[in-house]
Amino acid sequence: MKRTFQAIVVGAGPAGASAALGMARAGLDVALVERGNFPGEKSMFGGLLHRMTSLEELFPDFWNRAPLERHIAKKGTTFMTAESSFHVQNETTNFSRTPYNGYTCFRPRFDRWLADEARKAGATLITRALVEDVIIRGGKVCGVKILREGGILEAPVVVAADGVLSFTALKAGLRRPKFNVGQMAVGVKALIDLPKEIMDDRFGLSGDQGFANEYVGCTSGVRGGGFLYTNYDTVSVGLVVHLGSLRESGKSPYDLMNSFLEQPQLAKLLKGGRLLEYSAHVIPEGGYDMIPELVGDGILVAGDAAAFCNATGVNLEGINLATHSGSLAARAVIEAHEQKDFSRKGLTRYKALLNDSYVMKDLKAFRHAPHMLHIDRIYQEYPELVCSMMEHIYRIDGTPKSSISKLLLRELKAKVGLKNALSDVFTAWRAL
Amino acid sequence: MNIDEIFDYTSFTIDREPHIILDPLICAGCEQRGCVNSCPARCYSYNEAEKSVTFVYDGCLECGTCYIVCDRNAFTRWRYPRGGFGVAFRMT
Ligand SMILES: Cc1cc2nc3c(=O)[nH]c(=O)nc-3n(C[C@H](O)[C@H](O)[C@H](O)COP(=O)(O)OP(=O)(O)OC[C@H]3O[C@@H](n4cnc5c(N)ncnc54)[C@H](O)[C@@H]3O)c2cc1C
Ligand code: SF4
Ligand code: SF4
Repeated sequence: MKRTFQAIVVGAGPAGASAALGMARAGLDVALVERGNFPGEKSMFGGLLHRMTSLEELFPDFWNRAPLERHIAKKGTTFMTAESSFHVQNETTNFSRTPYNGYTCFRPRFDRWLADEARKAGATLITRALVEDVIIRGGKVCGVKILREGGILEAPVVVAADGVLSFTALKAGLRRPKFNVGQMAVGVKALIDLPKEIMDDRFGLSGDQGFANEYVGCTSGVRGGGFLYTNYDTVSVGLVVHLGSLRESGKSPYDLMNSFLEQPQLAKLLKGGRLLEYSAHVIPEGGYDMIPELVGDGILVAGDAAAFCNATGVNLEGINLATHSGSLAARAVIEAHEQKDFSRKGLTRYKALLNDSYVMKDLKAFRHAPHMLHIDRIYQEYPELVCSMMEHIYRIDGTPKSSISKLLLRELKAKVGLKNALSDVFTAWRAL
Repeated sequence: MNIDEIFDYTSFTIDREPHIILDPLICAGCEQRGCVNSCPARCYSYNEAEKSVTFVYDGCLECGTCYIVCDRNAFTRWRYPRGGFGVAFRMT
């Protein structure tokens, strides 16, 4: 098999499908190459699709077209210990009006839909095709090799959208051979079925309204956090843990997950649910400082392959950055075709487009967030502090009460130490 | 959730040929063995008596964790399974 295209996109995830869709709509002959039996077969994520303005440009009624589960009407954060929890939550009817602020969805459905839109626009979707190498001639990337008898695809430009480990970027010499374990996290997720009526009652939802909750303090001291997102009649629950900290702890993701699922307040919410699927995937959490070379001769890098993930502590943004960077890669490739220049210089426009967009602006703004997230006390001592403070405030037991400031000071001294607390405040302030 | 029952929850089409291959000599000299505790599918196990690491690729979720936590680059091969093989998520 040998075929020539005007562009090749490796990976039919959100980044790759957006890139192929943009190019196909502009009339380019583009190949979208995916290793799965279908796009999305290999993909998992927490479950929260943030608003994607780049897709709303392509589909003005995105929420009517895409296979989505619920729109996010309610967001919460829970500080948790093995026994207690303290919960804050925001809900507004504004979030139940279009354009919605976010959705829950399943990747095997969503990715498949988006790639199919690219195909309908004219892209050639090639599935069950693992790209094993890039073809380099005269220092320029000019195609890819597929792990199938002699499969070769050629094009003057390749977009590496093959996800966090991006072997395509590695083979093209754009990413470093060794990842820094301190910049990576792994997420594990359990998909649990719950009848819609029960879910609506338990979480206070109606119609297509959904709830997104983040947890702190649920990872047995390992750096990380938990999440719970409501789908139509299933719940996505899981943990994201930092890989350096996990390795050091000697603990295993499934054990941490089981402790989380058994925490009494969470267990009540999931009571009666059955485990339908278990999945895991690595996340590039290093932010701005881990971005690889984005452009080479005949090649661009987009999405997770370019480490475009923003873990701010409040949200984990990935899919939105992937689709946006994919669309910008498409624009750069279209312009390169107009100029007939696929050299690094000719493709550099991609970087300018990225720098002008929220992708780079947000990653820069949150550049120091990973440092704050490395304060280990966030994951155990502070949630304990919050929960025990609140317990003292609410408890009525016939003993005289201390003022809240005295209480805070006492708890802070006991759980964290004043010097540590000051240094953490300083780190957090610098990070934000 | 019992990780040893992973095949009841998640679907796999297992290839004859492994997609990850370890160099046993490198693992034999490894004190840290981050792969053993960090793999979310428990594909790696350590045999205390034989002092060796065993790896089974059947239930691999293709998550990438072992590729990152191994500091000694013990992989003579680390790639994804051939097209059409490996894990198949239905609705995650
Ligand atoms: C646990 C977890 C929770 C997350 N939660 C959220 C969330 O709530 N919200 C959010 O916005 N983001 C979240 N993310 C991040 C988000 O999933 C990623 O940022 C996003 O999927 C990146 O899209 P992508 O297209 O760049 O890469 P991917 O989605 O990884 O897609 C890459 C594609 O390339 C294919 N591929 C890889 N290698 C090859 C090859 N050699 N040949 C052919 N095909 C190949 C893969 O099969 C895949 O289809 C989460 C991630 C994880 C792991
Ligand atoms: S794979 Fe790496 S971390 Fe695991 S035992 Fe071998 S050398 Fe050690
Ligand atoms: S890729 Fe993930 S699931 Fe597969 S062996 Fe490595 S750590 Fe385990």
